Amino acid sequence: MPLSAYLAVSAILFAIGATGVVIRRNPLVMFMSIELMLNAVNLSFIAFAHFLNSVEGWMFVFLVLTVAAAEVVVGLAIIVSIFRTRHNVDVDELNSLKG
Amino acid sequence: MLFQQIAFYVLAAVAIGSALGVIFFRNAVYCMLSLILNLLSLAFFFLTLEALFVATIQVLIYAGAVMVLFLFVVTMLAPSSNDDVTGRDRLRWQWGAGIGMGVILAVALCYAAFTGRLAADVKASGAASLAKQVASAGNTQAFGLALFHGYSFPFEVTGVLLVIAVLGAVALGRRSGAKE
Repeated sequence: MPLSAYLAVSAILFAIGATGVVIRRNPLVMFMSIELMLNAVNLSFIAFAHFLNSVEGWMFVFLVLTVAAAEVVVGLAIIVSIFRTRHNVDVDELNSLKG
Repeated sequence: MLFQQIAFYVLAAVAIGSALGVIFFRNAVYCMLSLILNLLSLAFFFLTLEALFVATIQVLIYAGAVMVLFLFVVTMLAPSSNDDVTGRDRLRWQWGAGIGMGVILAVALCYAAFTGRLAADVKASGAASLAKQVASAGNTQAFGLALFHGYSFPFEVTGVLLVIAVLGAVALGRRSGAKE
């Protein structure tokens, strides 16, 4: 398959993820959409690494994986602590950072 | 060649279908399971692109560890976050606007992917350095050499980032009444 096909799949996944962040109100699902976007970019990195015969794409994917893991850990901790104080996880209701 | 094309189309269909499932299922647990399917299909994409080690860590770390953590939190908060119905009806025009934006973004990015100079130039370059390394040493060894020789500083920074993330999670996860 040509590179453009992989890039197109990656672009469609990224757009789906961006749409999910915009239209969903559950912060957990918004988080999942962010994961979708990160993984879409990973796919294009791997495709470029394959077609450019270069190992840099793999490195970037490795670093993106690590950053995504850190982001998930901190973000989920924030969501859990919001749920503890508010008993409600709807981003429309969350308009102050103070607990 | 034919097998590769069939694999590509099947994997693309699974990936896009499960991605749509992530944003359109009402129950957050179904969204989660759909996301795991998406990550696994991306791991198979990585396999078809000959990135064996990256596909392995995608399955082990992402679809394994990170998603289990996610699933714990989703099932913990699921009963309250299940009633998304009123929210969906409250701002229907927002759904239309969001989906319209997504379609425009997808079309624009696909147009760029198929007509841009970048995709056309890729064939011309290609020093075959990676292919040579992989042929002589193996996939994982090429990855490790690049990681610990050319990219050792980013690797160290990654370690610092993970430590900060763990400390932050511990600080946030502590009950706020524990100090008093």
